[in-house]
Amino acid sequence: MSTPGPERVPSSVKVTKTSGQGKPPAGSSAAKKTGGGKGPAGKGGGGGKGRKPVTPVKVAGGRNWGPIAVAGVVVLVAVGIIGYGVFAAVQGSRSWEDKVSEIAGVVNYRKQNNAAINDTSHKQGPQQYVTSPPVGGAHNSTPQNCSGDVYDAPIANEHAVHSLEHGAVWITYKPGLAADQVDVLKKKVEGQDYTMMSPYAGLDKNVSVQVWGFQYKTDDVNDAKIDEFIKDTRLVSALEPGISCSGGNTTTGPLQASAGNGAVMNK
Amino acid sequence: MTVSTNPGAAADAAAPTETHRSRGPLWAALALILGVALGIGIGLSIPHFTKPGDDSVEAGFLRDMSTHHAQAVEMSMIAHQKSDDAEIVYVANDIALTQHGQIGYMQAWLRDWDLSPTSSQEPMAWMPNSAGSIVNGLMPGMATPEQLTKLRAASGKELNTEFLTLMRQHHLGGIHMAQEAVKLSDNKDVDWIAESMVKSQQTELGLIDDLLKKVQAS
Repeated sequence: MSTPGPERVPSSVKVTKTSGQGKPPAGSSAAKKTGGGKGPAGKGGGGGKGRKPVTPVKVAGGRNWGPIAVAGVVVLVAVGIIGYGVFAAVQGSRSWEDKVSEIAGVVNYRKQNNAAINDTSHKQGPQQYVTSPPVGGAHNSTPQNCSGDVYDAPIANEHAVHSLEHGAVWITYKPGLAADQVDVLKKKVEGQDYTMMSPYAGLDKNVSVQVWGFQYKTDDVNDAKIDEFIKDTRLVSALEPGISCSGGNTTTGPLQASAGNGAVMNK
Repeated sequence: MTVSTNPGAAADAAAPTETHRSRGPLWAALALILGVALGIGIGLSIPHFTKPGDDSVEAGFLRDMSTHHAQAVEMSMIAHQKSDDAEIVYVANDIALTQHGQIGYMQAWLRDWDLSPTSSQEPMAWMPNSAGSIVNGLMPGMATPEQLTKLRAASGKELNTEFLTLMRQHHLGGIHMAQEAVKLSDNKDVDWIAESMVKSQQTELGLIDDLLKKVQAS
């Protein structure tokens, strides 16, 4: 304080670290750097400083392992929590299409880009479908009611496909399937909005479950993949989010001649 | 930290700084990358720990109430289309639009939380001691398929009576569920919508009772 000049030097040098001090001519690497960076000739004190042999600053020999271990554990736990959170976030945002596609045996018709299946237009009268049961395509303007409706007789494809467009899971089974097995399927539908079930003539397996663009067939009504399929697709498969499954046709049997102009609503 | 200092180096004080600045950008870049990675990690994970999970009360209530509401919409649309009583036509309109709008809120929150709008859980699983309240998959107050078939086929006074009776029952079940949700939920959005359901449906119950009296006297 009282003495200006030399006294103040240590504090300012300290800030700029230790090693470079006095090294230039002695250490080869340091010399190169210093030489390249700025010529020692420029400053008066440079030469004298360089001659002084300086031992490199050494890190303390014995490490204090306690705090390092604690810090390590804290970091590990933090990384674990964050990692799990990231994993869960990524997992949670996986699309339903990816999930249902991973179920072995599910056929993904959306991927095929078949114009006949992708057709969302309303058409009057009977329609031809490329799959059995259908999973998409032109359909009647009135959907089949799909608010957990259990139909005991076949329903018209033209109405059912419209329900698929609304996000319904349609469970179909072979006519004549034993009553106790039908009851197993019924349990998956009753009270469940965006589901419906009906017998379907000509099925090649006991059960076929479908949404718009996806289908899974099995002979076993207790096949857990049926539930998985429903879980992954119900409602989210809707092509028109926010649309309801009610207000549709509630009768069974083939397409009526009057269907198609909204005249059968709630009859 | 301490350095043997050459007193004569006073003028040289700034020199070492420049010599070692070359490593500075490297550390800065490393720190930046680490900081960004940590930030992204925390940013991604925090919402996951703060929003309701797949088997939470909140998610269960929103899913079940969506289904419950959907049936109120269905019955109201039938009455709206077929009733010959202007007051009933209007209350049906009111119930259908309100409850369909509320389904939109509930579905949007589930989507915000990265949850499916549906689940394979039993209905009402979020409510303790609810096991006995589910009959054929139907939650409290919900109309059976047979009752819906009867409603669709009805007309005139029968339709009006049937609709009001079913809707009265439906509201009672819905209010009970919403009250439980208010009690059990920790989410302010869920509390808000559940409380509003309790209030508005209780008010509507009074109106339904008045209309029932009027219809039965006619």
